[in-house]
Amino acid sequence: MKKPWKSLFRSSAKRPMTCGEVGEWLQHYLDGELDDRRSERLAAHLEDCRRCGLEADTYERIKHSLADRQPAVPADSLARLREFGARIARGDEPVER
Amino acid sequence: MANPEASQALFEQHVLPEIEVLLRVARSLTRNDADAEDLVQDTLIRAYRAIERFDGRHPRAWLLTILRNTHINRNRRQRPELLRDPDGTSRQLNELVAVDVTDAGVDAGFDAEIERALAELDEPFRSVLQLVDVEGLTYAEAAEVLGVPAGTVMSRLHRARGRIRDRLDRAGLAPRSH
Repeated sequence: MKKPWKSLFRSSAKRPMTCGEVGEWLQHYLDGELDDRRSERLAAHLEDCRRCGLEADTYERIKHSLADRQPAVPADSLARLREFGARIARGDEPVER
Repeated sequence: MANPEASQALFEQHVLPEIEVLLRVARSLTRNDADAEDLVQDTLIRAYRAIERFDGRHPRAWLLTILRNTHINRNRRQRPELLRDPDGTSRQLNELVAVDVTDAGVDAGFDAEIERALAELDEPFRSVLQLVDVEGLTYAEAAEVLGVPAGTVMSRLHRARGRIRDRLDRAGLAPRSH
């Protein structure tokens, strides 16, 4: 499967990160919490560095394993709450102060 | 309220799309489906009453703040012994990631090792893993739920994942770090 960072182009105007910088910013990057400029530099490093690429793979697998543990919400509870919210939005629920 | 129609429109726009997220986080906080539903219902009422003061930015974070404060107030009313720990968030999130891995998956060994690593994690590390990695909140949104700065969420999250990663390393399931 194609990794998301592989699809980013390296900008020749921006120096790729060092391994140490990747260690500092990798988790921000994988969480989508890194700014564009640093993301580009980090992605450029991952294109070339096998060890950092493996490290990124490991953290991605950890994140996916945790995401798979998301419990399903009870459908009936969710339906009642959505209906309750819809009644408020229609002005049918007496919730004024 | 000055303009009920405007409030209703804002409520529909900003609040209704977030009900499922609110219920997910409420279940994490309460560990009880009935309490979670009551908590979200109270949150929706409070959100409607406050919506004219909402600036329209980051509705999920705004709603999570209301959810958390409502949760704290409900605990104070129902369980006064929690006054010394009025939040109670950490304690209640303590069990949260200890859910069964029902999907056998393609890498049961990896998942099982993560399960063992989670069991060894202390609060508050598990809380941030639950909110960010399991429930999919951003750092800022998790910070609203936990009542801590986003930087604290980030550092706890990264340390928690680092511990999991180290355990995987010791088990031969992750490459050696630099």
